[in-house]
Amino acid sequence: MTVDEVATVARAAVVNIVVVATREVHALRAAATVSELAMRHPSRAIVVLMDRRPDPDAAPAIELHAQLPSVDRYEQVHYEQILVRARGDCADRLTSVIVPLLVPDLPIFVWWTGSPAIGQRHFDDVVAFADRLLVDSADFARPEATLPELAGRCMIGRRRCALTDLNWARLTGWRELLTQFFDVPTWRAMLPHVDGVRVSFSVDADGREIHPSQALLLIGWLGARLGWSPAERIAPSEAGGLLFSMRRSDGAPVRVRVRPRFERGMAEGDVTGIRVEGERDGRRSEFRVHAMSGDGRPRYATLSVRQDGTLAAERIVPLPPTDVVRLLGEELTILASDRVYEEALALLLALS
Amino acid sequence: MVIFGGTGDLTSRKLMPALYDLARQRLLPPAFAVVGVGRGELTDAEYRSQLREAVGQHSRSRPIDQEVWASFAERLYYVSVRADDGYADLRRRLEHFDGELGTEGDRLFYLATPPTAYVPIVRSIGRHELRGPRGWSRVVVEKPFGRDLASATALSRTLHEVFAEDEIFRIDHYLGKETVQNILVFRFANSIFEPVWNRRYVDHVQISVAEPIGVEERTEYYDTAGAMRDVVQNHLLQLLALVAMEPPVAFDANAVRDEKVKVLRSIRPIRPKELAERAARGQYGPGFIEGEAVVGYHDAPEVAPESRTETFVALKLFVDNWRWEGTPFYLRHGKRLPKRATEIAIQFRAVPHHLFSEDAREGMEPNTLVVRIQPEEGISLKFGAKVPVQGVRIRSVAMDFVYGASFLVDAPDAYETLILDALRGDATLFTRQDEVEEQWRLVDPVLEAWRRSADPVPLYAAGTWGPQEADIFMARDGRRWRQP
Repeated sequence: MTVDEVATVARAAVVNIVVVATREVHALRAAATVSELAMRHPSRAIVVLMDRRPDPDAAPAIELHAQLPSVDRYEQVHYEQILVRARGDCADRLTSVIVPLLVPDLPIFVWWTGSPAIGQRHFDDVVAFADRLLVDSADFARPEATLPELAGRCMIGRRRCALTDLNWARLTGWRELLTQFFDVPTWRAMLPHVDGVRVSFSVDADGREIHPSQALLLIGWLGARLGWSPAERIAPSEAGGLLFSMRRSDGAPVRVRVRPRFERGMAEGDVTGIRVEGERDGRRSEFRVHAMSGDGRPRYATLSVRQDGTLAAERIVPLPPTDVVRLLGEELTILASDRVYEEALALLLALS
Repeated sequence: MVIFGGTGDLTSRKLMPALYDLARQRLLPPAFAVVGVGRGELTDAEYRSQLREAVGQHSRSRPIDQEVWASFAERLYYVSVRADDGYADLRRRLEHFDGELGTEGDRLFYLATPPTAYVPIVRSIGRHELRGPRGWSRVVVEKPFGRDLASATALSRTLHEVFAEDEIFRIDHYLGKETVQNILVFRFANSIFEPVWNRRYVDHVQISVAEPIGVEERTEYYDTAGAMRDVVQNHLLQLLALVAMEPPVAFDANAVRDEKVKVLRSIRPIRPKELAERAARGQYGPGFIEGEAVVGYHDAPEVAPESRTETFVALKLFVDNWRWEGTPFYLRHGKRLPKRATEIAIQFRAVPHHLFSEDAREGMEPNTLVVRIQPEEGISLKFGAKVPVQGVRIRSVAMDFVYGASFLVDAPDAYETLILDALRGDATLFTRQDEVEEQWRLVDPVLEAWRRSADPVPLYAAGTWGPQEADIFMARDGRRWRQP
């Protein structure tokens, strides 16, 4: 076959995915994830690897490696992946390479692995053409500060680039389980009387890697949904935990405690359990969701309700897997910005 | 076929490769010879070997077939013309072919020289009676056809001293492109598009011709012309005419061109006081194209330091007729834009009443029909579809037709189509005098207003989609330029 004969193919791409990575291992992992998704979301993927270590011997350079068009294992979908390798200081010219490679008229998702380079030119340039920016706040050093700042950067003139956090997507299952308690009318009546929340999240065995961002997002969500306002700023407590309080709409305080816990088989930073308690008409109720691992993975959750210390209900349900392929697949079906997420974030900002 | 400018860039890059490809497809008439006319002294053999190399580089069917080339080159000649005696020599050669090769007095003159040479060449054709005693004579004129209305009319007058209007073939190579011709087929061979092709259903139309290249190689010409004369006056307005025209009474040269002229005549001129709302210009500064640092227009050595030549033009035009009243046509062309893309986008109106919630609709855009002229020639229709999840969430998807994937034949180059049409005498894809004049009538006042204006020409960084002025101009209408 000559080059001309393969030059045009019927393309099924529904989305442009631009992956930005500064480490090769991240770039390769992201590339593998995107290609695994090709069957559900055929895409033009552009993986940008920015090696910004200064190299005195080499001038800034950008190389392109294309894998075009590869026919996936089902031989039905053409999937195109382009690797852009930028060495040295190429921040000023990066978009001039990416923009011509985008398929017109398709939404543009930018997946920024690691901490976003806020305030740097190539970050602003990339956000300017993106429809949706995907980050993972589990990788952020100070998510409570970085996330709100990111949200601000996503307004470009009158246009906005929607912000998505994979760490928020990991909470979908938790949010579903927690709200299910309150489908029961008698328990729903408890909601305005909640006075305490405890969230635990996973850390490694020696307790060095402490990433409470997912736990904080869950609290931000709960508070924003129930109309709580900040009463005091987030403060550290013993052993890497956090302790603070919020105020209900009737003015009563809600004590919030966030605790790191070592749990085998759980990824660092993942929420491992939540307990919501309150008192109404002299009766104390406690709603609890706790993850259990199986085969070394968090597979099930135990849901229990106690009233005045007595077990009122208990059930075990499977937890949806939260591997990146699945999370990304879900996120790619959404184009709009997520207002619930933004409100959770806004409350966190007020607390930090 | 006599090519004036026989050693020029156009001849080696476009005309000869096109002629060779026509020969390869057995489309050239049996009695046919090409005479290149130039100023230099070359033998036929030298000329042939020079072109052999050019065709080898630029033909769309490489490598060259030796047999085809050898037989084609036998009919390839060169005549050096510096003064009048050169024309006498040329005439003797042509008369010789009439007998020897059987060309019977049929002559196609091709003006592939810089435009300043058009008038003296045409007069010499007349004076030296290069038109055969019998047979037909036609002349093909390359753009730019004049630099304003007055010079275009004057050039037509000179051409008419020697040729009748139906013997003049003004070339606009865009019209030779397959996808451009397909606009007419798409519109008039299908019944489902024409009923919505009007102001009731179309919100606006965007036509873009974006080029990442700068003007390095032809700075001298470009600095006197600018983007408006180089592309907008001809290619962009022709595309607009094809999109907006009424169905012609027949698919023949005059019927099609009559309809195009009617569109051009209906376009509301841009008055000086509306300049800011309906026109924007720009000049590229330094920046990056595909990762390479490129210099700004002003930094090229041949550009005059005070040059105010525009390399970007955006226009908002209205076709004031029954079909299009009130529907804006946005035209945009620029050098050093991020990518090469020529497209026509018809954006339809939003639905009159929104049935679905705002949340459900957030990923949705109005229906758009995009005709991609280059690259990836094709047509795509954007419409909203339900995302397969619980509840209603709507997302825009594209139904795509890609030329190259549907027809497994190589499309001919625009010049092949146009040379063949000129040889056959079919002027459908060439612009008529009145079209050219209407096109100048539209751009002249804008150029004049810009020339008089003391405002600086807005700058845009190479590798961006033009100056902010063009975005503001769009934003004022509550719309956005597409990113083709």
